[in-house]
Amino acid sequence: MLVIDKYAYSNRIVKWSPKLKGLLWLLGIILAFQPIIPIKLVLIVVVVWHTLYVTKMSGRVYLHWFYAILPFLLLSIIGIVFTMAPKANQIYYPIHLFGNYFGISKVMLPKGLRLGVQVSTAVVCTYWFALTTPFQQIILTLKAIHMPSLMIEEVMLMYRFIFIFVEACEQIYRAQKLRLGYRTFRLSMHSVGVLVKMLFEQVMIDYQQMVYALDAKLYDGEFKVGEDD
Amino acid sequence: MIELKHLDFAYEKNHPILKDISAKFGETGSNVVGVIGPNGTGKSTLFLNLVGMLKPTGGQILVDDQPINYSKKGLNQLRQKIGIVFQNSDQQIFYSIVKDDVAFALHNLNVPEDEIKRRVNTILRELDISELKDRPIQYLSGGQKKRVAIAGILVLNSEWLLLDEPTAGLDPDGKRRMVELIKHLVSRGQKIILSSHDIDFMYEVCDYFYILRDGQFVKSGKKETVFDDEKMLLETKLDQPWLVKVHQKLHLPLYSNEEELFADKALRAKLAKLE
Repeated sequence: MLVIDKYAYSNRIVKWSPKLKGLLWLLGIILAFQPIIPIKLVLIVVVVWHTLYVTKMSGRVYLHWFYAILPFLLLSIIGIVFTMAPKANQIYYPIHLFGNYFGISKVMLPKGLRLGVQVSTAVVCTYWFALTTPFQQIILTLKAIHMPSLMIEEVMLMYRFIFIFVEACEQIYRAQKLRLGYRTFRLSMHSVGVLVKMLFEQVMIDYQQMVYALDAKLYDGEFKVGEDD
Repeated sequence: MIELKHLDFAYEKNHPILKDISAKFGETGSNVVGVIGPNGTGKSTLFLNLVGMLKPTGGQILVDDQPINYSKKGLNQLRQKIGIVFQNSDQQIFYSIVKDDVAFALHNLNVPEDEIKRRVNTILRELDISELKDRPIQYLSGGQKKRVAIAGILVLNSEWLLLDEPTAGLDPDGKRRMVELIKHLVSRGQKIILSSHDIDFMYEVCDYFYILRDGQFVKSGKKETVFDDEKMLLETKLDQPWLVKVHQKLHLPLYSNEEELFADKALRAKLAKLE
């Protein structure tokens, strides 16, 4: 299950106004994109500490959340700092390749690192917001800042059905694994294909059921997002 | 009253699902009608026909003596008269917070905001789920989700409530609560049509029964008579309710529910003599 949600509903600052939390998040993002690096580093430390404090989460679990974004972050930094250059002195640890030099660019390295810090700061701030703000409050915040209702509807439905989707996915995966469907790489690839196909078929069937249920509730093309009382 | 006149239905030609079904639901003053049949006999298909989601390929459905009007407006009215709750709760709960989902149908009818709040609160209290009001759906149990799904339809105050397999996947506690809920709804005048193959559950809550076999009603009647032919029930892949078995095989009186049996003082006195 998506445990991220549990923290959002039961943390020390769940009662804070979502608008205040939204503003703090925005401030964090602004600080992440301003040019002074030490401010960002301080911000990372403070926000990570505060996230751990209010959610009572262990550092290990928190780091776990970064596994999802780490590959993207590393790939983009690698893409930026590694380069080919005509002269060896433009490169750290140059490797002679096809008449050029390949390695870490002296110019791009600081840029890459700066980008890494910037992204990490933004992600840490976003996690703070996501882990402390229940979904309902996020919806109200989106409404308060006059986001288009189509987008809010979309966000709401995605949030409602992603749990069902993830659960279906887990069940199929478990059933396949139980029958050794992931024993070798080849088998794994095949099993993943079957899994995706099954999910797709299930979505089509569920869609029809959903249409019936929407009809029963007199759906007229709009999901109203209620006010909080 | 909902009347079916020689209803036929088929998804594809030459593969009829429902064959020449005639019935009058709610005619005999019965408020809880049970449609009993094994898996795959067309119970759900019948229900979808009753609320106009599927159109009969033959015959007619009359609601209060008027044939169903399949225009958008007509169906809208029909669904305010006949509410339906499906078997899978997850497919009919669209909002992530309980109170928002229960209010959904009323929003669609453009009911004023304070009345929506009032009606939602009343229904939640009635179904004994007020404490779930602000809870996210994904952390509810199966039984709780079922109640939320029922609440989402009950807010419409429809005359009829169709419940498709209401006990599927419920634990004994959930089932007990479902029995109580249905009895409560009936006591305040709600008319209900249930479909299930949970014989003992149906025996306890319904007062008129239709037995569906391969798309046809093979028998109908009150609880005293409809279950008396054990052979026929077994052939239909069903079974006799245990209270009927006890009545037929041990010659005890026919009790209409468990409490009645255990409260029978005459029987207890007789049994005490045996010791």
